[in-house]
Amino acid sequence: MTRCFFSWGVASLAMALALVGCGGGSEDSGAATDNSTENASASETKTLKIGVMPKLIGIGYFNAAEMGVKEAAEALGVEVDYDGPVDADVTKQVQLIDTWITRQYDAICVAPNDPDAISDVLNKARKRGIKVITWDTDSHTDSRDFFVNQTTSEAIAHTMMDIMAEGAGAEAKFINITGTLTAANQNTWMELMETYRQTKYPGMTNLSETPKAPGEDQAMATQLTADSLKAYPDLQGIFGLTSVALPGAAEALRKANAADKVYLTGLATPNDMKEYVLDGTVKKFVLWNVPDLGYLTVHAAVAAVKGELTEGATEFNTGRITTSRIEGSEIILGDPLVFTKDNIENFDY
Amino acid sequence: MIQRLLNNREFILFGVLCLLFVGFSITTEYFLNLDSLLSYSRYWVAPGMLAVPMTFIIATAGIDLSVGSIVAMCGIILGVLYRDYQWPIAAACAAAILSGTAAGAVNGGVSSWFRIPPLVVTLATMTLFRGVAFGLSKADAISNFPPGFKSLGNGDLFSFTLNGSPVFVPIALGALLLTMIIGGIILRYTWMGRYTLALGENPVAARYGAIPVRGLTLGIYTACGCVCGVASLFYTAVYGTARADAAMGLELEAIAAVVIGGTRISGGQASVVGTLLGLLIIGILKYGLDLSGVRSQYVVIIVGVLLIVTAVFNEWMARRAGESK
Repeated sequence: MTRCFFSWGVASLAMALALVGCGGGSEDSGAATDNSTENASASETKTLKIGVMPKLIGIGYFNAAEMGVKEAAEALGVEVDYDGPVDADVTKQVQLIDTWITRQYDAICVAPNDPDAISDVLNKARKRGIKVITWDTDSHTDSRDFFVNQTTSEAIAHTMMDIMAEGAGAEAKFINITGTLTAANQNTWMELMETYRQTKYPGMTNLSETPKAPGEDQAMATQLTADSLKAYPDLQGIFGLTSVALPGAAEALRKANAADKVYLTGLATPNDMKEYVLDGTVKKFVLWNVPDLGYLTVHAAVAAVKGELTEGATEFNTGRITTSRIEGSEIILGDPLVFTKDNIENFDY
Repeated sequence: MIQRLLNNREFILFGVLCLLFVGFSITTEYFLNLDSLLSYSRYWVAPGMLAVPMTFIIATAGIDLSVGSIVAMCGIILGVLYRDYQWPIAAACAAAILSGTAAGAVNGGVSSWFRIPPLVVTLATMTLFRGVAFGLSKADAISNFPPGFKSLGNGDLFSFTLNGSPVFVPIALGALLLTMIIGGIILRYTWMGRYTLALGENPVAARYGAIPVRGLTLGIYTACGCVCGVASLFYTAVYGTARADAAMGLELEAIAAVVIGGTRISGGQASVVGTLLGLLIIGILKYGLDLSGVRSQYVVIIVGVLLIVTAVFNEWMARRAGESK
C-alpha cells in the first residue's frame, strides 16, 4: 500500500515539475501588466507585446518572414511572440489569438487561413483595445485596423509582362501555367496581365486561352510543359504562376534544352529556383521580399499602437523600408522583387 | 481508505487536473482569469460533445472515426439550406441534426448487419461524409449566419461577479455539460448503459444473455450521429463559418479525451465522468501551455506525451486491479 502511494506521488510530482518547467519561460515582463486594462495608457511605461501569427509555422516562407519580424522587434525594443498552427488550421489560429487577448497583447498581427472564421475573435480583440493588423493575407476589412500587403496584384501582373516582353520580345507567343483553374490569386493576375497586354503589348499572343493547370503537382507541371513544347512549335514564352508551376516548367526546359528558344518567368520562392537561375534556364522571376514583409508588419503594429499610424496617411516609411505606401487601410510593402543571377544568392527562403 | 481512493481512476484524474491547475496558476500569468478560461471553453464544446457517445462506442469495443466528417457534413448541410435554399435557420438546424442521425445510422447499420468491424466501416464513411461535405459546398466556405444562431457559439447563459469583475458562462458550455450529464446518467443508471458495458466485456455472452446486440449497436452509432449533428451547430456557431474541411481531427480529440478518461479501448469499462476529466485535462494543458507562450510545435509534443503516459497508467491500473481480484 505504501508503495502504491509512493509511485503515484512520484508521478504527480513529475507532472508538476514538468509544468513548472514549461511555464517558467514566460515569467519575465509580467509584473507590470497585472492591473492595467487599458493598453494605450500603459504603452509609455512598459515594453509593448506584439503577437505575430503566420498561416502556419515550420515552412520556409514563414520562417523567412520570422527573420524580419525578429529584426524589427530588436530594432524597436518590443517583445514579439511569433507563433501559429502547425497545420494551417484556422480554428487553431482562433484559439491561439484568444489566449493572446487574455494575455493583453498590445497588437495582434495575423495572416488568416479563413477570413470568415477569424473575424469574431479579431473583433473581440479590437473591442478590448488591441490593434489588429493582417499581413500576407487579408481578413474582412471591418475586422482589422490595417492590412500589410506584400504588393498589389497589378504590380505582380505588370512586372511579369514587362519581364516577358524584355526577354522574349514584344511580339512573343506565350502560354500560362497556373495551379488549379479555380486558384483565385492566379486568375486575378492572368486577368490583369491580359488587360495590360492589350494596352501595352498588343503584339503579344496568348496561345492557349485556358491556362495549363497542373494543380500543386510539380511533376505534372514538368509534364505539361514538355507537352506544350511539342504542341506549340512556335512557343516563345511561358509564365509559371505558382511556386510549383515555375520550378516544374524550368525542369522541363532544362531537360529539353529549350531555354534559348523559350523564355520562362513567373513567381516562386528563391530557394526553389536557385539552381535554374544559376544554370541560366531562368533569367528573371518575381516574388516579394518576405523578411521585409515581416519587418514592416511589426513596424506597422508598433506605429498603430502608438497612434502614429492613422487612416488617411499616404506614406509609411520606417526603419530600413523606403518603398512602402498606404492606400486606405492597406500598407503596401512595395513593388515585387525581381530575382536574377546577381541577387538570388542573398536570399534564403 | 487511501488505497480505495487510489484505485479510483476518476479520483486520480481529478488529482492530475488539480495539479495542472495549481501548476499553471503559479507559473502562468493570466491563467487564473476565470472569465477568459470559461470563454475559451467554447472551443472544447464540439470535441467534448462527441466524446460522450464516443465513450459508449469505445465501451462496446468499437470506434467511430467518422465523427469529425459528420460534423463537417452537417455544418455544410446547415449552411447550404440556410444560404442557398433560404430555409429558416431553425429548420436548417433540424435538418443538420437529422442528417447527422442518418449518417450515424449508416455507420451502425452497416457494421451490425454485415458484421464489419466499425473501424473499417467508419474509416470508409469518414472519407465518404467528408466527400459529401466538399461536394455540397463546392469547397466554398459559408458564413453570414444570423446573430440568434451565432449566440449558440458566442452567447452567454448567465453571468456572475467574482472579485468585482464579471464572469460570463457561455451557452455552449451549458450545452456541453447537459450532454455530459445525460450521457453519464444513461451509462451508469439505465439498462442501456449496462447492456453497452456487457456487450463490450463479452459480446458472445451478451448475445446469449438475450441482449439485442444488433439493435443496441445500431442505436449507439445512430445516437452518436445525432450528437454529431448537435455538435456541428455549436462548432459552426463558435467559428461563425461552415467549411467542408472543418472539424479535421476532431474524432481524435474526442477519442483522446475518452481514453485519458480511463475508458478501456478493448471495451467493457467506461465512465463519462472520466471522459469529462480527460477533456478538461487536455483542454487545460493546451490552454495553459498557449498562455505560457510555449510554441505550438512543443504543445503538440507535450500533449502527445500526456497521451502515452496516461495509456501506460491506465494499463497499469487495469493490470493491478486484475491482480487484486
